[in-house]
Amino acid sequence: MAVRDTVTPEEWETRVELAACYRLIDYYDMSDLVGTHIAARVPGEEGAFLLNPYGMYFDEITASSLIKVNFDGDVLTENPEYQLNAAGFTIHSAVLEGRPDVACSLHTHTRAGIAVSTMECGLLPLSQHSMRFYKSISYHDYEGVATNLDERQRLQRDLGGENHAMILRNHGLLACGRSVSEAFWLHFRLEKSCQAQVDAMSTGAELKLVPEEVCEHTLGQMQAGGTRFGDTGWPGHLRRLDRMDPSYKH
Amino acid sequence: MSAAVQSMPHPDDIASMKDKVSPEEWQSRVDLAACYRLIDHYGMSDLTGTHISARVPGEENAFLINPYGLFFEEITASSLIKVDLDGEVLSETDYPVNAAGYTIHSAVHEARHDVECVLHTHTRAGMAVSALKCGMLPMSQHSARFIDNIGYHDYEGVATNLDERERLVRDLGETAMALILHNHGLLTCGYNIPHAFWMMHKLERACQAQIDGMAAGTKTVEISPTVQESTKNQFKSKGTKNADLGWAGHLRRLDKLDPSYKH
Repeated sequence: MAVRDTVTPEEWETRVELAACYRLIDYYDMSDLVGTHIAARVPGEEGAFLLNPYGMYFDEITASSLIKVNFDGDVLTENPEYQLNAAGFTIHSAVLEGRPDVACSLHTHTRAGIAVSTMECGLLPLSQHSMRFYKSISYHDYEGVATNLDERQRLQRDLGGENHAMILRNHGLLACGRSVSEAFWLHFRLEKSCQAQVDAMSTGAELKLVPEEVCEHTLGQMQAGGTRFGDTGWPGHLRRLDRMDPSYKH
Repeated sequence: MSAAVQSMPHPDDIASMKDKVSPEEWQSRVDLAACYRLIDHYGMSDLTGTHISARVPGEENAFLINPYGLFFEEITASSLIKVDLDGEVLSETDYPVNAAGYTIHSAVHEARHDVECVLHTHTRAGMAVSALKCGMLPMSQHSARFIDNIGYHDYEGVATNLDERERLVRDLGETAMALILHNHGLLTCGYNIPHAFWMMHKLERACQAQIDGMAAGTKTVEISPTVQESTKNQFKSKGTKNADLGWAGHLRRLDKLDPSYKH
């Protein structure tokens, strides 16, 4: 039986959005072969979330291929043809369990993201894009490949109760959104913030800093927008995918 | 998803404006839509963010700007929104105008009657140079056209406060054709639409080269003051000539890729 016929309409919609998000991360050059993962909570099913079939490339992922798992690590998809990535389970189960307000958790290993994750200073408020994360981004120290489930409590502690982004030091980026589209939007902005920071700092020249009150004012402006910024672009993203390859919807 | 976003029509379903506007306005719409497509084609777009505007010929106080929510690769001549300097929307549309876009572009159009097109981007290299205290340095032929021809504007937050317009106008000045929006991005002005695109392409490349030149960590060389002076004057005397020359080729490229910008 087709997966679509075995799940609720709400779960199917989430599957389509999440598959689209994998494709978009790849389209915008933020994928890393079969590595990294994006997770989305299953609506109406406490403790269950969707994760990628480990071994499929992001440009191959479809709504039906996503695997449902719960916080205990029980795979709820019957006879999946693929396994889950263990580190992906650790990281995303931690985020989704610790943060009931988060619907989607997105992790990448981009060039600029890893570069900023190696800097002691972390993300600096050097661009409008980065203002969204002004004093509202978390940091998590590297502990090795995240297959030790004990790390979950430290991931939860470091993310905290309010931030929507975290730098995994010496590793990469993590964004979490109240919807799939918001997670993508936040991650896109975070990635661009990192790119601009790396380029600006690479010059060795004196940086132009933004006064603290302007940073705070801008953060407030952006937070007041809620999920609106992510929503505005999302239909356009889906149109783009539909033009290129609509198979994500299958 | 909010109702406002859901009510935005698919770009293919936007009715043609060709018979509803003057031939001159239609031509501006086609050129401006082409400019959006080109900015995307050359890797200078930022999802639905940033904006390009063009004055409506024969209508002193009206300009065209993008429907907020469409990607640059989707923008068509008919989907562009006509708005006046007071922010009143003059054309039928189901899309909003980006508030920061209105602030920035109305400021320039109101103050600078020599400028027909205003173009703003958030590129990687542009954002990086905008975060440097030194700003743009005369390190390349590309940067030479911006000598004494570029302003700097300090970051104030997302540009939704209309008061910022007077400071944008002050910082651009009466003759400069480019503005670095510190900690934010780039802006160019054009005597026509091709010229604004041309200036942005040059500014972007100048920023890229500056970043890479400085990143090498080796001693950099700047253009000598005498040559700066003479080169600056060479560029000034050219006006829109080179930009106009390249435009037909840009349109041929778009026509091969996807001619829907003309609709």
